[in-house]
Amino acid sequence: MVQIYNDYKGHADFLTVYVREAHPTDEWQMKSNVKDDVCYAQPKTLAQRVAIANDFIKRFNYPIAFGIDDISNAANDAYSAWPERFYIVDEAGRIAYRGGMGPFNYNPDEVRAWLAARYGSVKHDAPASLPTTSSSTLPTT
Amino acid sequence: MTHFWKWAIAVFLVLLLAVFLVLCKMAGSPKDVYGMVRYALPHMHRGSLKVGDDAPDARLVALDGSRHFHIRERTGARPLVIIFGSYT
Repeated sequence: MVQIYNDYKGHADFLTVYVREAHPTDEWQMKSNVKDDVCYAQPKTLAQRVAIANDFIKRFNYPIAFGIDDISNAANDAYSAWPERFYIVDEAGRIAYRGGMGPFNYNPDEVRAWLAARYGSVKHDAPASLPTTSSSTLPTT
Repeated sequence: MTHFWKWAIAVFLVLLLAVFLVLCKMAGSPKDVYGMVRYALPHMHRGSLKVGDDAPDARLVALDGSRHFHIRERTGARPLVIIFGSYT
């Protein structure tokens, strides 16, 4: 996704919205989270959520604009976003693309295809969608 | 118990086992099936938003933890790609 951002940031705006954790230590923790040392309890306060978001940004030097959902999960509820999902909002403020629910229907290639249809494709020597290098539900590559 | 009910219960148990095995394959292990059913499924919602609907607004917190902004503030000039997710 970061590659898609780099390819199309001249044409579209990007916003990451950090929502409630998918695999915290006190809920459904995955082995991959332990292996990758991504072990956090589900935040109960906004301060805890902000701290985890900052850890993510620092660890991956994440370049995309970032907002944190309030502890009431207002953004998550409005967009049915959890655990991970893409949307594209057009210039008129309408939903132009609605991605499937992650993890099974989470498809960055569909976002790239939407942008490519509008602004032209960007060719790469290597595959454009690299496999994620972390167990995060946010894209790190 | 009639012959019919014995068969009905057997078929039900076989179907239950099949569902459990499919969930194990999807989730990774029996422990993950528990995690998925207990913690993930209640929070997964397909939602009713459709292409063409007005994009909902929501107030977000900036990384400094004190400033706020609205999703709608980021729309208008160009298409906005919104990426929802978490660290884990």
